[in-house]
Amino acid sequence: MKQSSLRHAIAGLAIVAASGAAYADKANDTLRVAFTKELENVDSYFNSSREGVVLQRAVWDGLIYRDPATNEYKGNLATSWEWIDDLTLEFKLREGVTFHNGEPFNADDVVYTVDFVAKEESGVKTQRNVNWMKSAEKIDEYTVRIHLKDKFPAAIEFLSGPVSMYPNEYYAEAGPSGMGLEPVGTGPYKVVSVTPGQHFVLEKNENYHDSPKGQPEIANVDIRTIPDVNTQMAALFSGSLDLIWQVPADQAEKLAEMDQFTVSNESTMRVGYLSMDAAGRSGDTPFTDVRVRQAVNHAINRQELVDALLKGESKVVWTPCFPSQFGCEQDAAAQYEYDPEKAKALLAEAGYPDGFKTEFYAYRNREYAEAILSYLNAVGIESDFKFLQYSALRELNMTGDVPLAFLTWGSFSINDASAMVSQFFKHGSLDDARDDQVLADLEVADSATDPEVRKEHYAKAIERITEQAYWAPMFSYNTNYVSTNEVEYTPTADEVLRFTTMEWK
Amino acid sequence: MTQLDTQDPILAEITGPTPGQMLRKRVFGHQGLMIGLVVLVILTLVAIFAPLLAPHDPYAQSLMTRMEPPVFLGGDWEHPLGTDHLGRDYLSRLIYGARVSLMIGVIAALISGVIGTAMGVAAGYFGGRVDMVVTFLINVRLAMPVVLVALAVVAILGGSLQVVIVVLGLLLWDRFAVVMRASTLQVRGREYVAAARAIGASTPRVILSEIMPNIANNLIVVVTLEMAHAILLEAALSFLGLGVQPPTPSWGLMVSEGKNMMLFEPWMVLIPGAVLFVLVLAINLMGDGLRDVTAPENRS
Repeated sequence: MKQSSLRHAIAGLAIVAASGAAYADKANDTLRVAFTKELENVDSYFNSSREGVVLQRAVWDGLIYRDPATNEYKGNLATSWEWIDDLTLEFKLREGVTFHNGEPFNADDVVYTVDFVAKEESGVKTQRNVNWMKSAEKIDEYTVRIHLKDKFPAAIEFLSGPVSMYPNEYYAEAGPSGMGLEPVGTGPYKVVSVTPGQHFVLEKNENYHDSPKGQPEIANVDIRTIPDVNTQMAALFSGSLDLIWQVPADQAEKLAEMDQFTVSNESTMRVGYLSMDAAGRSGDTPFTDVRVRQAVNHAINRQELVDALLKGESKVVWTPCFPSQFGCEQDAAAQYEYDPEKAKALLAEAGYPDGFKTEFYAYRNREYAEAILSYLNAVGIESDFKFLQYSALRELNMTGDVPLAFLTWGSFSINDASAMVSQFFKHGSLDDARDDQVLADLEVADSATDPEVRKEHYAKAIERITEQAYWAPMFSYNTNYVSTNEVEYTPTADEVLRFTTMEWK
Repeated sequence: MTQLDTQDPILAEITGPTPGQMLRKRVFGHQGLMIGLVVLVILTLVAIFAPLLAPHDPYAQSLMTRMEPPVFLGGDWEHPLGTDHLGRDYLSRLIYGARVSLMIGVIAALISGVIGTAMGVAAGYFGGRVDMVVTFLINVRLAMPVVLVALAVVAILGGSLQVVIVVLGLLLWDRFAVVMRASTLQVRGREYVAAARAIGASTPRVILSEIMPNIANNLIVVVTLEMAHAILLEAALSFLGLGVQPPTPSWGLMVSEGKNMMLFEPWMVLIPGAVLFVLVLAINLMGDGLRDVTAPENRS
């Protein structure tokens, strides 16, 4: 008898332990997700990470919404909009929307938000997202105008992306730090609790307005920061996570072989490229010779990189922008097929028959960088490999001390070529080409209001950049989303995790 | 020393085995020492003859045959230990990696040995102010965590084979200095040192021919320990991405590159980890053995 009661006690303990481990899942209507990076501030204007964008789309709304499947613009907090002139946009706002704290949404909120973020002193982290706006003006309770500093055809795209609307009364009082700890928006999910950088708990907004984002299905979302991919996978195995994303291709492939997980892959807007110091900012470098730059372009087997390393939805890219972006004209780009012999011949012609040695910088995807390095070594370009943190490399880049670097750019998921090509080729501190002809074309393309004129000038700029081989664009990135079979989710091509479109199977 | 004719059987019977014979007997009778020595000699030969032994070019990348398993996990003999994340032959990289590890171990131990021994002997022999200064320097050095300093220096100067060797060489002299100082203090007061001084030998001569030979056994033990220490530190720095830079093959780097696939392809971490373990174990066994063999209490 004694023994059997002991056995019962152990069985009881085991049940308690088991139910304790499975404290949240489909049964509790709680989705558990992992973030890889620590988010510095939930306030979307004061962080610059992918994780921040994910929370921004869940907690806040913009005036406009871009359907990620069709790229069609739809009204979200605005119901309609029109250009009054080249510098003025007028919006009719949706009525009857309230913020999570009960504050009603109206023209005052738009005016306050736009005026606050457009001011440089406010210190919005990514100035490019907001510095095209000058101010906002209230016409009546539900009509508002946004004034632009200069012609800016991509305004609608930016308003559907990084510019979200904040409650004026609450934000005036709480400020960016208060908003970061207790975020208040109009979005499909309310924030229940924030442990900065570590843990975020969201809850379905029962009163969500009739938004093109759709109504949220899953009641609770519990997000934890787990920096190491192996730890994330271990948590997924043990059942304490339901969804992880940004899983490297090799691991995702192995997880896909296991029955209990669903792996889906989607392209992202991030483009990987080699940047070469054509202007000779880092001193006397071989890259000032166009033949050397073309040799580098010919030396790299892009298709092999995509097939063997990146896999998934990744594609070979020839343009200094992501193919789906407006103005990223594919036909304009010169293509350099993989031909190591031709690369060697070009190097010999440029006066480097035995190759040369250069510094080679990289900041992410060490194995991609190593593979690229090996292609360069094969044609005689020896390198001194330096792997730095992003911020450190960016700083070196700005002072022009980088002869050759493997870099990437995600364009903040903005579907317009100006977010990439104009970012790097308009003689800014990151521009190693400094080509006046490219600058002139981009000036026209960035400010023209006629889409055809914009396309024509982006095409000219892309043609010049690729013929001069200032960069070696290589490939687009992809992201793997791994979830338990209980979760139903179709990822979108812009690398934004949308909780609103997830549901239980 | 008295010259004995060891060939004479009668004399040998009277005097017993000579010191040389006794030493040889102790060396060959010491199991740990022999195992360590044999493994180390084999690994050194492998490192020296790497170009002849490696079946493939350790830098030749082949992205289409990535992460092939080793033979004992179902791979083929083309790549006996499989291929790494860029399709490079694992066995060849291991063989070339032995060069990096041994070179760093030997050179770093030599640099720190010269620095530490010079400081330790000077402190022990001269005493007084010199001793105070050296003791202070040793204390300063001991107060600094080696890994942290190495990380900082390598982060500033950038990682490369030369930088790692110099940094480790300049950091690992503390044990040499401590041990050499203590040994010199013991030997300094001996009669033969006083005798050498009395017949007018110069200070360098006293140090080099009277003191050094008598503390050399301690030195050898510290050299082996510090070699193992340097090899492990290099692996740790390379694992953190601050040591030897790719594409140079290094065992620490290989562990780091395999880490991401640890859940699915554990051999990528286990193989370089095991080789590193064997090398460090061999060196430590040898150091232990040398201490046992040369320690005075063993000289019956």
